[in-house]
Amino acid sequence: MKIVVCIKQVPSTNDVKIDPQTHNLVRSADGVINPFDKNAIEAALKLRDQTNGEVILLSMGPESYRESLLEGLAMGADSAYLLSSRALGGADTLATGYPLSQAIQKIGDVELVLFGRQSVDADTGQVGPIVAEYLNVPQVTFAEAIDLTEDHHLIGKRRLDAAEQEVEVELPAAVTVRSEMNQPRYATPRQIQKSFEKPLTVWTEQDLDLDPERIGLAGSPTQVTQVYAPAAAKKRVTMLTGTPEHAVQELLQSL
Amino acid sequence: MTNESIWVYIQLNQDKIEPTSLQLLTKAKQIAEDKPVWAILLEPTTLTAEATIQQYGPDNILRLRDDRFAAATDEELADALEQVVTQYNPNSFLFPATTAGRSLAPRLQAKLQTGLTADCLDLAFDGDTLVQVKPTYGDNIMCDIICPDRRPQMATVRPNIFKAVRVPNSQTEVVSATFTFHPETTMTILNTTRLISQTASLSDAQTVIALGRGANQPKTIELARQLAAKMGGVVGVTRPLTDDPQFTHDQQIGQSGQTVAPDLLINLGISGAVQYTVGIQNANRIVSVNTDATAPIFADSDYGYVGDATEFLEGLLAQVK
Ligand SMILES: Cc1cc2nc3c(=O)[nH]c(=O)nc-3n(C[C@H](O)[C@H](O)[C@H](O)COP(=O)(O)OP(=O)(O)OC[C@H]3O[C@@H](n4cnc5c(N)ncnc54)[C@H](O)[C@@H]3O)c2cc1C
Ligand SMILES: Nc1ncnc2c1ncn2[C@@H]1O[C@H](COP(=O)(O)O)[C@@H](O)[C@H]1O
Repeated sequence: MKIVVCIKQVPSTNDVKIDPQTHNLVRSADGVINPFDKNAIEAALKLRDQTNGEVILLSMGPESYRESLLEGLAMGADSAYLLSSRALGGADTLATGYPLSQAIQKIGDVELVLFGRQSVDADTGQVGPIVAEYLNVPQVTFAEAIDLTEDHHLIGKRRLDAAEQEVEVELPAAVTVRSEMNQPRYATPRQIQKSFEKPLTVWTEQDLDLDPERIGLAGSPTQVTQVYAPAAAKKRVTMLTGTPEHAVQELLQSL
Repeated sequence: MTNESIWVYIQLNQDKIEPTSLQLLTKAKQIAEDKPVWAILLEPTTLTAEATIQQYGPDNILRLRDDRFAAATDEELADALEQVVTQYNPNSFLFPATTAGRSLAPRLQAKLQTGLTADCLDLAFDGDTLVQVKPTYGDNIMCDIICPDRRPQMATVRPNIFKAVRVPNSQTEVVSATFTFHPETTMTILNTTRLISQTASLSDAQTVIALGRGANQPKTIELARQLAAKMGGVVGVTRPLTDDPQFTHDQQIGQSGQTVAPDLLINLGISGAVQYTVGIQNANRIVSVNTDATAPIFADSDYGYVGDATEFLEGLLAQVK
């Protein structure tokens, strides 16, 4: 059984500032695997071990995303694909989901596609459902648990807004994974060594059957018109003083 | 022809209307200028949510009725919505940034090949263009996003950012939509169990006692529960406390938890990490107690006390009536 895990590389911290002169984002150069995507990799590895399957990582982004793919291979994935070229750059979620879904089709016979519930930098959680739609497969979003059944189905538990839901889908299917599902494993030194020998293939838009109007900046319906720091909605704090009893008294009088 | 209406998706959590949908109706009316506001309701015949929706003043309620909407998959909902969007061509389509909204909207977006902005904190019109304010990098950075060339302009909007205001509209017209329900044969909903929702009570609560890692002793937790009971409030926690089996993820406040909007919030032993404070921006009055006078939480507070959380709780329990 082939399982594809879509992973994104994100900055190692969200402590991002705006340069007051250039108005550009100042962010740390180090990238890490989006934390929720590690839960997706972990889920894939567990299912693979039950079914003798194959875990394939897929990411779209600059060359530097290799680092995260290597890290995922070191966790135990079998192979990786990176979609990388200038033409694919500047994509919003729609223009990200499209090449990813075409790559999944090219990989072929993929039965399960896993995503993180959302990326911690863009924070949208849209790419999973978009890919599911393009592949025309059922989606289980915000999954807390998944199990395979013998007859080629998957049972998933989702947490909704005021309810818990159990669903059954026929494979192939797409699942977005919550961090509650598992605890991602660490790479062992032996696995890290092995990761460099595993296949990591780079595809450009030429390797995929893509409509040029639907990729990159041109294929992105949304545009960012401004980037700025949030208005500091800081409050003016009144400090309470003295013993806790006194402070509580002061507080209750003012409230 | 493009219809200039603003659509709001009415999310049903079983038989209840998701409060964010009503908040969005109010917001849509505020920014609409002359554009009509439509509530889009996918409803089983056992329900009649129209009367409640009408209280929030939309110009139209577009009703899609089918009993299978009582438990429909994201694909089934998206398919039905695609049919009505292509019939009416709305200017924009707003969804709650809830689990349900964030699952459904992107699926519909891909069908419609349009833009979708996630988890917006504000919306405004510049002519016909919807300017969508979206936080990124854990709310550290804001972006204005537009979708200039395609319609509808879609956005999911964070719960409890806007207040729902009742402005009953006796002119609200209920329109029955023509559509075909296409069952998704590859997916079955086995069961949906309503959670005796701490989530709902936390995001709706008027008083919240929030506990952090500096208020995690059993005694402190017990005192907080007593105080909450006495004040008719509920207990919420920061992320580290959800490792304690007596708290669940539903009680977590913050970026990856709930947004709260109480009249009074008391933070005990909470440092004030940005991932936490984004969840409390809509609290009316904030009181924070921390042993560290330099804790960032004080910058987000109306009242602060440098001292021990447990002792402060004891003081409150003794003096609150
Ligand atoms: C992607 C991401 C998402 C996240 N989402 C969330 C989220 O949704 N919600 C969330 O809460 N966190 C979230 N976090 C974690 C967040 O960054 C902080 O780690 C967390 O909020 C800290 O919780 P805390 O304030 O309870 O603990 P700490 O930061 O450890 O603070 C404890 C405080 O208690 C004080 N203290 C100690 N003893 C006492 C005492 N006796 N009396 C009074 N005060 C005392 C200390 O001075 C300190 O300020 C997220 C992190 C990431 C990376
Ligand atoms: N550039 C990308 N390459 C591969 N997977 C991605 C990419 N962007 C997002 N994803 C996947 O989609 C999920 C949701 O991302 P987002 O919609 O950006 O919040 C992530 O957790 C990843 O699994």
